Amino acid sequence: MARYVQKSSYESTHLDNEWIILNTDDYTVTKLNDIGGFCWSLLEAEQTLESLTQAVGREYLETKVSEREIEEFLSQLMECGLVKYAV
Amino acid sequence: MDLLYAKVGAHEVEISTESKDFKNFIQRNFSIFKGKTSDPDIKITIKKGFGEPFVNYHVEVSKHEEKILFRRADYLIETVFDYRYSVIYAHNEFALKHAITNLYSSFIVYHNWGLLIHSSCAIENGKAHIFSGQSGAGKSTAAKLSAPRELLSDEATILMIDDGKVTVFDSPFRSELQATGTNKTVPLASIQLLHQSLHNNRMNLKKSDALIQLLDKVFYWAHSPKETKQVIKLLNKLVETVPVYDPHFQKNNRFWELIS
Repeated sequence: MARYVQKSSYESTHLDNEWIILNTDDYTVTKLNDIGGFCWSLLEAEQTLESLTQAVGREYLETKVSEREIEEFLSQLMECGLVKYAV
Repeated sequence: MDLLYAKVGAHEVEISTESKDFKNFIQRNFSIFKGKTSDPDIKITIKKGFGEPFVNYHVEVSKHEEKILFRRADYLIETVFDYRYSVIYAHNEFALKHAITNLYSSFIVYHNWGLLIHSSCAIENGKAHIFSGQSGAGKSTAAKLSAPRELLSDEATILMIDDGKVTVFDSPFRSELQATGTNKTVPLASIQLLHQSLHNNRMNLKKSDALIQLLDKVFYWAHSPKETKQVIKLLNKLVETVPVYDPHFQKNNRFWELIS
């Protein structure tokens, strides 16, 4: 199963339940909502779709997030140059 | 060589130049104080005769051992890692103004003191209000329509950013309206990111969106991850402390009714 991890420990800023991640290699900023920011902070260590989906389920009892949505989110983070496959 | 002592923001700047024109320019545009300071924050030597007249805003930054170079077609800044000692080579007064802006902005970011924001700033009832936005959105119009309110800047606003407190200093970096040379410092009460519109109304921006929109209004030439982080940290403090609005702005002075 694919494992994902932060590409680098980029600086993040937390403002009113939103997160801004600063990619200091490409000089880009990415804004995440609360759940996105939660996932980002977990990605400091290697994660799988399953581990992330379960963690979100435990943390946000009210919100249903599927593995598919997490996968989409991760592919967006990869496009933004924030996350990579762990080798 | 004559030395000039100027006050910029909270900082004392020692300037030395052999050029009469540049000396006049500094005396006209900066708040000069007599006598000397024993320990200036910034020392600049200015030399005339570099490059060609203004081509564009592209600045190339490069690092060589102890030195950092900022090169534009009409100026070259040779400085050190903490920006305290610099030599500026400028083609003309316009180039010199922009070079000093570039240098001062880098200095205040590096020393975690504050930011220089592309904006105008006016005083109303002892509080400062910033007008920023995309080019053409009405920053300078807002400045002109703010008369007779006192202006602290019409192009580049100097912000000192502390925890829980943001203070505006009179800016010598002007485009048209001359600085009054006031030594006043004024607390910042709001930031208005302007859009032009037929109606006057305004919304409070989310802090994260405010930060992202302000990012490209900072006079800053990215060349080190450490300094870029510093800019973000300062912007973070700024949006935590001061409300940012998203006003749709009609070209008349009634917008002040919404602000104060």
